[in-house]
Amino acid sequence: MSHSTNTTSPSAAIEARALRRTFKGGIEAVRDIDLTIEAGEVFGFLGPNGAGKTTTVRMLCTLLPPTAGDARVAGVDVLAEPAEVRRRIGVALQEIGLDPVQTGRELLELQCGLYGITGRNGRTRAEELLELVGLTEAADRRIKTYSGGMKRRLDLASALVHSPQVLFLDEPTTGLDPASRLTVWEEVRRINDTGTTVFLTTQYLEEADKLCDRLAIIDDGRIVAEGTPELLKGRMGHDVVSVSLEGADAAETEIALRDLPGLERVITATDALALYVEDGAGSIAEIVRRLDRERIEVGAISVARPSLDDVFLQATGRRLEEGEEEPEREEVGVP
Amino acid sequence: MTETLLLGRRAVREVFRYPEATIPTLFIPLFFLAVNIGQVSKTFPSSTPFLKGQGYVAFQLPVSLMFAVATATSGLALVTEIDNGYFDKLLVAPIRRSSIILGRLAADLVRGVGASAFVLVAGIALGARVETGVIGALVIVLLSALFGVAYAGFAILVALRTRNVQATNTSFLLFFPLLFLTPNFVPFDRLSPLMETLARINPVSYVIVGLRSLVIDGWDLGKLGVCLGVIVVMGVALTALSLRAIATYDR
Repeated sequence: MSHSTNTTSPSAAIEARALRRTFKGGIEAVRDIDLTIEAGEVFGFLGPNGAGKTTTVRMLCTLLPPTAGDARVAGVDVLAEPAEVRRRIGVALQEIGLDPVQTGRELLELQCGLYGITGRNGRTRAEELLELVGLTEAADRRIKTYSGGMKRRLDLASALVHSPQVLFLDEPTTGLDPASRLTVWEEVRRINDTGTTVFLTTQYLEEADKLCDRLAIIDDGRIVAEGTPELLKGRMGHDVVSVSLEGADAAETEIALRDLPGLERVITATDALALYVEDGAGSIAEIVRRLDRERIEVGAISVARPSLDDVFLQATGRRLEEGEEEPEREEVGVP
Repeated sequence: MTETLLLGRRAVREVFRYPEATIPTLFIPLFFLAVNIGQVSKTFPSSTPFLKGQGYVAFQLPVSLMFAVATATSGLALVTEIDNGYFDKLLVAPIRRSSIILGRLAADLVRGVGASAFVLVAGIALGARVETGVIGALVIVLLSALFGVAYAGFAILVALRTRNVQATNTSFLLFFPLLFLTPNFVPFDRLSPLMETLARINPVSYVIVGLRSLVIDGWDLGKLGVCLGVIVVMGVALTALSLRAIATYDR
């Protein structure tokens, strides 16, 4: 669901209209997306690998020219004034961009220098940022000795040297252990509290749900859903009952359950049915009874509140990540 | 300008912190110097007219200097940064893209001074005598280092165009024909007609001849002028191509 309007918002930190990127060989990585992100938001860009998240970020950061469309970041046109855009944004890309030969302190001081913060000011700013991301003790060690989490935090700090208006974080927690992921989330919240708009791409549902004020789901280069996490989940209905097919015929199973009392919608994934119902727990007995009557053998049946994965399923017809963000479900074994 | 200085300082620091990138480049010139002298010093004794009383080491020394300074180190450093994402970090900073290249070339100058001084001292230790004295020796080091800076543009260009570590690494191999299609073993007039023609159209020949004149002949401003001219033209051309490649990178 993309915006169809061509008007511009005076308070928008990021605006993109019909943004497209086609690579050699005709690969359409991003297909005419529209985005409006207000100043001060943490905006999530959720999608699987290859959906077009990184390409979108690279276009908005002036690293890659769009094939078509236009975009303004921090009020500046990315094509007309790329240098001015760069002064106003901070970027931490998916590949942690660090020079392993330098120490953490040297890297931050260099980064300060590249943004015109030199001498004592640069040293002070580097010290502040090292403290902010908890790397003061490791500041004079070479970066090649840092753990993945430390590198990610240093990369984040290096994107903040000039207090950017807009911060782009491309999958900032990919590959991190859960503890480091939480630390990065805290940093993102703290940065956002200072007024910085954050544009964050992620393939983690929990991250999008907990961190973002608003999000867009991108799939195959197109925005397929957009809104606050609560709004998107609320549109899905009350409860979702997942029926693991485990070899059972999806069409037969759907026919057996389609006039279930309180059923709002059914979505069929590759190996499961998602039944959106008014009362999940109360529907279990009837589901089991119907399957038993039709002699359909399925695997586990579980009940949960709709998640962003359900939103993703509805928008794309498949789950985003098997095993990622499994909400607490009440499971019922079926004989 | 500030960003060029900052990036240059970083690249120079890298030279000292990462000696394993420089030390192997010193082994090859010393190896060739020792082997070539060992093989032909009896064939070309000091009475050979073109040696002007010196040992063959004096004739070979400029070739080893070329070997010491013509490296793909900066190109490799750049392509590694393209690979690990730091290059993107620099591209998204509000700096002139040219400063990324010029910073790398500053490191090549420092590396070139160190490497050529080392090889020159080794040559002197093996019996070469610099006819133009200490000043001549300093000019030899400076010209060699400048040649290293000029040649570095080639590997940088390959790094930016291919974004491939292997391709950048093997770009160094191109230097072998450039170095061997020269009067590296004997003067122009002792080469076969075909080899002489090829050597005379190879610009690297004139760099070797210029450096050699400082070791064997004494001050020959004509040869030095041509040597410097070749280095400048080569440096300007390859650096301009590298700057163009980075300016159009992903654009």
